[in-house]
Parts: sequence; C-alpha cells; structure tokens
Amino acid sequence: MHSRISSDSRALAPFDWSIVVAAIAVIGVAIRAIWFTPIEARQGAAQKIYYVHPPSAFVGMYVGFGLMAIASGVYLWLHDERADLLAESSGEVGLAFLTVALVTGPIWGKTVWGAWWTWDARLTSTLFLWFLIAGYLVLRGAIDDRALRARYSAVLALLSVPLIFFIHFSVYFFRTLHPMPIVLKPSSPSLSPEMLTTFALSFVVMLVLYIALLRARYRLALWSARE
Amino acid sequence: MIPDNAIYLEAAYAAAAIIYGAYAVSIWWRARRYRR
Repeated sequence: MHSRISSDSRALAPFDWSIVVAAIAVIGVAIRAIWFTPIEARQGAAQKIYYVHPPSAFVGMYVGFGLMAIASGVYLWLHDERADLLAESSGEVGLAFLTVALVTGPIWGKTVWGAWWTWDARLTSTLFLWFLIAGYLVLRGAIDDRALRARYSAVLALLSVPLIFFIHFSVYFFRTLHPMPIVLKPSSPSLSPEMLTTFALSFVVMLVLYIALLRARYRLALWSARE
Repeated sequence: MIPDNAIYLEAAYAAAAIIYGAYAVSIWWRARRYRR
C-alpha cells in the first residue's frame, strides 16, 4: 500500500537560512583555497582544483546517491511516499554535485595529463553513472501513477549501487590515469598540513551545501506531492 | 619552476559556481509556483 504524505508545516516553511549559510561557507573556503593555501610546486595553481573536484565527487556519489539508494530501499520496504520523495531529491542534488566533478575533472586533467578526457575505467564508469541517474530523473517525469513511479524508480536507484562500488575500486582494478586516493588511504595523507586543512574544510562545506540544497529540494518535492 | 596555469583554476572554480548557483536558482524557480 502506497502511503501518501500529509501536510507538514515545518517542512513547508517558505525560506530556509541554511542555503545562505552554505553559500557563505563555500565562498569562505574558496577564498582560503585560492589565497591562503600554498601552491603545489609541480602542478602549479591548477592543483587547487583539488579542493572542489574530489569533495564534489565524494558528496555527490557516496552521500547523494547513497542516500537515494537507502531511501529507495526504505520505500520498497515501507511504501512511504516521503522516502520516495527523499530519494528523488537526493538523486537530483547528487547529480548536480557529480556534474561539477565531471566538469572540473577534465579542466584539471588538461593541466596534468595534457588531455581533457580519457576513456579509462574511472572516468567512463563515472560518466555512465551520470547518465544512469539522469535516466532515473527522466523516468520519474515519464510516469504519472505515483505508486508505480516510486516502485520503478526505486529499483533503478538500487541498481546504481554496484556501479558506485565499481567506480570506487576501479583505480585499484584497472590501469587508469586517474590517481589513487592521497588522503583516504591506509597510510598518512600525502599533503602538507595547510593543504590538508583546506581539503578537510572543503569536504565539510560541500556537505553543508548538499544538506542545504537537499532541504530546499525536498521541500519542493513535498509541495509538488500535495498538488 | 612552478607552471603558470592559474587560468585553469579560475575556469574550474567559475564552472563550479555557475553549476551550483544555477541549480539553486532552478529549485527557487520551480518553488515559486507553489508559494503563490
């Protein structure tokens, strides 16, 4: 039984200050990264793309699509429409983050590899994931019946999980130009303390931005579902 | 010698700002009809 949502006055509040807080935090970290973090000697200033590319990819793929998959599983279990709307919202916000990762990656790649793009395992599978989630959102727009839409899209969302694992481990399984992790690895991070602090801050700030956008998008989904 | 490639940094940060900004605006734009 597909249970529909009831009105929730707190969730339907017209404005949320979290988006303003997130915007200020993002600008603050960008200023720290550009002007107050050392330039890497071999890669030059372009290495500072590191403070936007991996955090966007991580938050979009693991947090955004991870929550989408969990909420989809919850929907298939409990048939609660709020879980379906959360999955839709998290998938769409995650896609925005993955888009940033896929745009900034080639710009960085051009400076270090001499090529905008290479069809290796990590890059190709990440692009495939982007199309899979875009297809998930298109599918949602193509089905009018809410219960049917929620069920089909939840299954598709769960199918993205093996691909996320594949993308994560692709740098270990295949020969690829994409570097292996230099922070999240068993040994100590290969970064100076100033760079590591900026990198950690950029992760936290991207997470704050994700939460702010998710709150706004989920509120929009609730408004849409009440119609 | 440190390579002079700051233009790539500026391009990447500008692209990220445009994508995140445009997405936030798209949510606000879609929400307008429900606020009325």
